Amino acid sequence: MAVAPTAGSRPGWSRRAQYSLFFSLLATIAGVVVGLILLALSLVAPRSYAAVRGAALDATAPVTAGLRAVTSTVGGLVSGATDYWDAARQNGDLKRLNQKLLQRMVEAKAIQLENGQLKAALQLRERSRDAVATGRIVGSSYESPRRFAVLSAGSGDGVQIGMPVRSAAGLIGRVMDTGRFASRVLLISDRANIVPARLLRGGLPVISTGRGDGTLDVRPLEVGRNPFKPGDLIITSGTGGLYPPLVPVARIVKLDDDGAVALPLADPANVSFALVERPFEPLAEEAPPPPPAPPPPKHKPKLVKS
Amino acid sequence: MVRAALQPHSGAIGRGPRSSVRIVPAISVVAGSLCALLPIVSSAGWAPDIGFLMLIGWRLLRADAWPAWWAAPLGLANDLIVGTPVGQSVALWTAVMLFLDLADRRTMWRDYWLEWLLAAVLIVVNGAFDWRVAAWSGARVSFAAMVPAILVSIVAFPLAGGIVYRLDRWRLGR
Repeated sequence: MAVAPTAGSRPGWSRRAQYSLFFSLLATIAGVVVGLILLALSLVAPRSYAAVRGAALDATAPVTAGLRAVTSTVGGLVSGATDYWDAARQNGDLKRLNQKLLQRMVEAKAIQLENGQLKAALQLRERSRDAVATGRIVGSSYESPRRFAVLSAGSGDGVQIGMPVRSAAGLIGRVMDTGRFASRVLLISDRANIVPARLLRGGLPVISTGRGDGTLDVRPLEVGRNPFKPGDLIITSGTGGLYPPLVPVARIVKLDDDGAVALPLADPANVSFALVERPFEPLAEEAPPPPPAPPPPKHKPKLVKS
Repeated sequence: MVRAALQPHSGAIGRGPRSSVRIVPAISVVAGSLCALLPIVSSAGWAPDIGFLMLIGWRLLRADAWPAWWAAPLGLANDLIVGTPVGQSVALWTAVMLFLDLADRRTMWRDYWLEWLLAAVLIVVNGAFDWRVAAWSGARVSFAAMVPAILVSIVAFPLAGGIVYRLDRWRLGR
């Protein structure tokens, strides 16, 4: 195979070679134009490639999931070994913690019982908050300024675009693309993910936006004095109807002039299982117009005194 | 003078381009894109776009590694594998081919430093385009967040170049 002297130079007197070079140039320019059109379409109508992106996700996610299983096994062996190394002290710590948690649990059970009685009294109906599917976080967009993660559950398990994803530790994000067996999750640390939330201490409504580097930018809805303190917890408020309320989101680590920087409580790298749930109010999937005012209740729920 | 025929286990007789000589470059670029599937769960984007590094590595080593328009399907494969908006790499990668055709006409000489400089310019352009597209799709991160990934890519380019050089020797049977 001969090496061409330089690309683009005249390839001698052969008409055929000249035409082939010219065709290649035209095809390349067409490639740029087609690329720009595809890009414009995927920016304007992000769901236009849902099927092909889902298929690509299905084809690639098993590779990631398999490799992830290997690395987590190796990681588990290493951390398991270090746990044995330090067993006596850990045992003491855990016993003390266990005592404390038992006390807390009794208190919590009492509160739960009381809560149940009060709810029954008010005849409140709660929508069941069963998880649609559970999966593992197997990969992430570590090459990109966007924050995505790949979840090992897809439309075959009932996952749909727009569903919120959480773990036991806190909120993870929402579903962006779905394949049959895998889906792509927009993490709460992505710049485009805005979570309506509130401060656990005091219940002040705040807005949390990702910063693209694993942290969150938290701002109060009302302008005024900076209400945050380092260590404050942020939980979802349920406003907007996508994310369910009372899910832990983040912990404040640093204050800035009119808001704060927070660290998500659920670290996608250490989440063992992620739960996919239905949107809190299903209408929120398509950003509908605000619902009409509910009709006035015909009769007030009776309060049962116990 | 080294007489190849007289040396025991070497020599060019019976050696030559492999049958896969034309597709090895494209396959190595797709393999670079596939690196995005490694099970790394990171809270920030810091890694180089390995498919892109392989692409410019091949193009800077050889003008005839592939017909320039092959960059479009390679870019589409990268978009689908990595998960960037469809069309982003298609447009950028083919534009890079055109740019390097022009650069080939304008530069009088080539050495390692000039190639690294060209690669650095292209990596910065790739990062800026990535950043712009992210902003268009609703994620306005500060450009400072892109700087680590760009620096890592620039430092990693000679590595990609070395891999490409070895692959090129292998596919040509040298």
